[in-house]
Amino acid sequence: MQNSESSNAGKAVPKRYRLSLKTRETLAAYLFLLPFILLFSVFVIRATFYAIQMSFFDWTILKPIKPFIGLANYKELINDDVWWLALRNTLYFSIITVIGTSAVALAAALAINQPKVKGKEFFRVLLYMPSLLSVGVIGLTWVWLLNTQFGIVNYLLSFLGIRPINWLGNANLVIPALSLTTIWWGFGFPMLIFLAGLQGIPEQLYEAARIDGARTGQIFWRITLPLLRPTLLFITVTGFIAHFQVFGQPFIMTRGGPGRASYTVIFYLYEAAWRAFRMGYGSAIAVALAFIIIFFTLLQFRFIGRRVEY
Amino acid sequence: MKRDQFFRALPSYAYLIILGLIVVLPLILIFSQSLMSNQEINRWPPKIYTPEPVFSNYVNMFKRPDLKLGRWLFNSIFAATAYTLAVFLICAPAAYAFARLRFPGNNVLFFILLATVMVPGQVTLIPNFLLVRNLHMLDTFNVLIWPGAANVFAVFLLRQFFMQVPRELEEAAVLDGASYWGRFWRIIMPLSTNALVALGIFVFLGHYNDLFWPLITTNSIEMRTLPVGLTLLNFSYGGMERPLVLAGAIFASIPVLIVYIIFQRQIIKGVAMTGMGGR
Repeated sequence: MQNSESSNAGKAVPKRYRLSLKTRETLAAYLFLLPFILLFSVFVIRATFYAIQMSFFDWTILKPIKPFIGLANYKELINDDVWWLALRNTLYFSIITVIGTSAVALAAALAINQPKVKGKEFFRVLLYMPSLLSVGVIGLTWVWLLNTQFGIVNYLLSFLGIRPINWLGNANLVIPALSLTTIWWGFGFPMLIFLAGLQGIPEQLYEAARIDGARTGQIFWRITLPLLRPTLLFITVTGFIAHFQVFGQPFIMTRGGPGRASYTVIFYLYEAAWRAFRMGYGSAIAVALAFIIIFFTLLQFRFIGRRVEY
Repeated sequence: MKRDQFFRALPSYAYLIILGLIVVLPLILIFSQSLMSNQEINRWPPKIYTPEPVFSNYVNMFKRPDLKLGRWLFNSIFAATAYTLAVFLICAPAAYAFARLRFPGNNVLFFILLATVMVPGQVTLIPNFLLVRNLHMLDTFNVLIWPGAANVFAVFLLRQFFMQVPRELEEAAVLDGASYWGRFWRIIMPLSTNALVALGIFVFLGHYNDLFWPLITTNSIEMRTLPVGLTLLNFSYGGMERPLVLAGAIFASIPVLIVYIIFQRQIIKGVAMTGMGGR
């Protein structure tokens, strides 16, 4: 692997051609960056600005003329009941999924971290497994598990005397059902992050607390949880943002149904841009989504960030 | 005393075992039901075990004209491998420049990268779709490899890893007359192998499991990736042929589980190290 620009500098090259060290370093840096910058400017920077630009146009793939319509797409969005429904569904889904995932994951991490528990490695590997599966596999599996007539979930519930539930066909249950699926799929990642966080808490703190006669509950609320706050912040922020972009679960499991009860923001984006071919309107949805996500990122950092110091 | 300690750990064990069963049972169930016939699977109460497993679903997967699982598997693995290599090829040198080299515009450029992380990837979907369509790249492997190759997260992580390599090692190489490329390729990269493996696995799996981008950029049955192919298959059967679809899901998961069995240590460690591998 001999690279061109500077490997032989100083040997055969006549003195007057030599570049100063600083210039050579700059040159090298830009050559190292060149491929990245090229792709980045085309597929990230240009695309982002183009999306904003498109949101001001009536950009329909089938129509040759794409007139500038100012804020009309955004005005339509504000009056679009489907958009607000999708947004509500997405918010609801993200909130319960973040809470559920964090709770299951934190409990699992605490259990594995328990000094007396053996087989830590085994549980970690086992419980993280679903996270590796694709949303396609998860969707196909859980559509079947949640099946009203023959699903295993209803079968297990029948032992508790619960009559068959139409999980994915009931407008009130479909979001919790998708959330349940997502929690099963995704709790492994926060579990491992929580574990890393727990292992970062010095053992002396626990010992000191025990010597002072603190109970298990007190240790959890007064020591573990406050010290885990940065981890908790990371998990809730990244989790919320990731779940807010949910697409595969409703796309595969319900196709947005029943009716539009499981429309999510990205699902609606897909419908608008790739079903109705309204790329301009789709861009407006994407830009609105970006604003919402940026807003929540900043809000959550302000809200939880204040209490992170200790 | 020993007894007492056991009872202290008991709730933890109970929770972990129940959670473990909740994780494993669905997978076992869909595997055993993928070995059932259509009549057998649609029965109440649902059966977990079948006395006479049929393997026809796994055979049919490869025979039916609307099912190209072998081809889809190849597409997924090939595209994900090529994508992972592209990410390394493009992001690692950039990360090295940010980690070690001094150049004007350094901070501005890095700030731009940071700013774009806040913007969700979906914003770029429509413009990038139109671009690759105009370039006649739809339905090719290129479309699955290049648009996402400038991976900002990979740059951040690699930069972080590279900064942890002791500077002295590089300085020794400088005295031996190594070029910038030589320092990057022969010193920094080999010393970051663990980190590169961890990152590579997650970049690979992320691509292998992706649904949206291959869904909108591939049309022909030959170019579908596994997740897309399976999803659309489920639609076209409208809930019929359940065992066949479940067999497809099992088939799609096998490569991932093989990767997991081989690299379990690196993956588990890598999650905390990279902050990747989540949903």
